Formats: sequence, structure tokens, C-alpha cells
Amino acid sequence: MDEHISLSDMEAFLDEALPHEQMAEIEAALRSEEELQLVLVETISRRDTGIHSLGEIWRRHRASCSSREELGSYLLAILPADQQAYIDFHLKTVGCRYCQANLEDLREAATAGEDTTRRRQRYFESSAGYLQR
Amino acid sequence: MSQPADQSLVERIRAGDGDAWSDLIGRYDSRLLAYVSCRLQNRSLAEDVVQETFIGLLNSLPNYDGRRPLENYLFSICSHKLTDALRREGRRPTVSISPANSAYSHWQLPANSERASSIARSDERRSIEEQSLRDALVEQLEHWRQRGDWKKIQCLELIIVRGWANKRAAEFLQLSQQQVATYKHEFVGRLCKSVRSQGLPEEVFPEMYLDDDPAEGVELSDG
Repeated sequence: MDEHISLSDMEAFLDEALPHEQMAEIEAALRSEEELQLVLVETISRRDTGIHSLGEIWRRHRASCSSREELGSYLLAILPADQQAYIDFHLKTVGCRYCQANLEDLREAATAGEDTTRRRQRYFESSAGYLQR
Repeated sequence: MSQPADQSLVERIRAGDGDAWSDLIGRYDSRLLAYVSCRLQNRSLAEDVVQETFIGLLNSLPNYDGRRPLENYLFSICSHKLTDALRREGRRPTVSISPANSAYSHWQLPANSERASSIARSDERRSIEEQSLRDALVEQLEHWRQRGDWKKIQCLELIIVRGWANKRAAEFLQLSQQQVATYKHEFVGRLCKSVRSQGLPEEVFPEMYLDDDPAEGVELSDG
């Protein structure tokens, strides 16, 4: 377990942008750690007053995320070694949830079956009424 | 910038094209579900969150800025819907409007009474600052990518995105602290130059001008 939670981590926590293991750690810590609760409140207050950080902007705009095509190449392990290593770092050390989700999607794309079709039909039927007529 | 294919889809959806809407769902639903599922162990609930995300997209489409990548916009809506779902499950705290010294449960955090209006920014100013920094960030990172300077990107990502201290980043990446300081100096220098060139005040992002590490993390107890 990571023994530190940085202010950047708290901002990412609010944006649901940390790896799920760390999200769960912070949720658990917030139940008992008063100091951490205050850090969270201060983080929210800073946002309410319009203050934003470089880290938030980097994350929000996914400045270092790889393209979907690059993630596909990463899965096939056909990228240059240093780029392959960087994407591995971004996924596992930085723990980018958006790239992790894209990678999982790419992995499962080949096995999409009836369940996927049913799900998409459900989404369409529940939302099509909101399309402009 | 949004992908051309996404821009075309959005235009057709705005015109009420059901086939385009179906295509968009097919393009994005699996990655959104993957993003949500790791946080919700209940598959049905996770699918509900994605469903709410798509409805949220349609409802907000009149305000969607096509310059923003559609995937980022969808993830943003999805994170809000996911947070709402986690709150309903009692896993995420909500900030109370009660004074800080009142009794509160762990999930009703005290409101901060020091909301300084003097430092409040307008949405417009905030947006200008953000766009300026985003452009500078992307430019710098692309420069390093083109040169294959992956170590520099890793270093700055740990410090700025994850909030790691210089020393910790140096140890993890097997760099000297002097190398980390040099990378940081190069990065901050370029960003500052960009901020100044756009006429923004330097105090906009004070963390860029600090020599020290970013704020140290809050230590968790073992319990």
C-alpha cells in the first residue's frame, strides 16, 4: 500500500481518476482519518473558488495518454521498446483509468457477443427518446 | 481536438439521426463500462451508470464544445454519474453546509468556512488559463515524445500528475535528484514562457514557480 496520499491524488480522487485500488484506499482512509477529511474539504473549496492545478489540467486533458491506435499496438507488442515501456508505466504506475478502460475494451473487442448486443440495444432504447426530433 | 469521425457523428446526432446515435453507443459503451466496472462490483449497476452517461450526453449536447475530444467529454460525464452512484451506495462523502465545528458523520464532511472571494476566478478566466496551459503542456510533451525522451515524461508525470516528491521520483526512475531537478527546470521554464507569451499573470499556477517539491503527501496511519 502506498503510504502517502498527495494533494494531486485527492484531486484525482474527486475526478474518479485514480486506479480503483487507490480509490478504495482513500475511501477507507476517509472514514477514519480526520486530517485527510480536512484535506478533501480544502481541495473541494479550492475548486469552488476557481483555483486549478497543473496536475488537474494534465489529467483532464489527458496530455500524456496514448492514442487508441498506439494502445492497440501496445497490446500487440509491436511498438519500439522505449515507447512500449512508457505506455506500461502510464498504465501501471501512473494508473491512468481512461487508458486502462480503453485497453480492456480493445482486449475484449474480439470477443464481443450477444451480451454486448443486448447491452447496446438497451442503451439505445433508453436514450433514443432524448434525440432531437 | 475531437476526431473528425466523432465530429461527424455529433452533427448527425444533433440532427436527430438514430443510426448515428446507435453508432456512437457502439463506439464508446465498452470502454465506459470498463471504466465503471472496476469501481462497482455490480454489473447491472455499472450498466445503469453507462446508460445514465449516454442520456447525460444527449441532454448536454447543445452545450458540447466540439473542440473537446468526445471521449474525454464522455469520461467526464461518466465520472460524475459514477460518483453519484457511489454516493448512493455510501462510499463517497458529501460536503455538508454545516459549520466546521458541528458534529458530523464521517460521510458529512465539514464545509470550509474560508472561501476567499478575493481569489475566486471567473469561469471565463479559468477557461482561458486552462486552455493556455493545456496547449503548452501538449506542445512540450509532444516535443519530448518526438525526441524519445520518455524518461522526462515519466519524471514530470510522477511529480505533477501523481504529486510525488522529487526524491521519490528520482529513486523510482533510477535518476539522480539533480537530473530530476534539471528535467523539472526545463519543463517549468517552457511552460512559464508560454504563460507569459499569452499575457497571463505568473501567479496563475504558483506551483510552477516553486523550487521545492510539491506539497508533501498526507501520511496515512496503518489502521
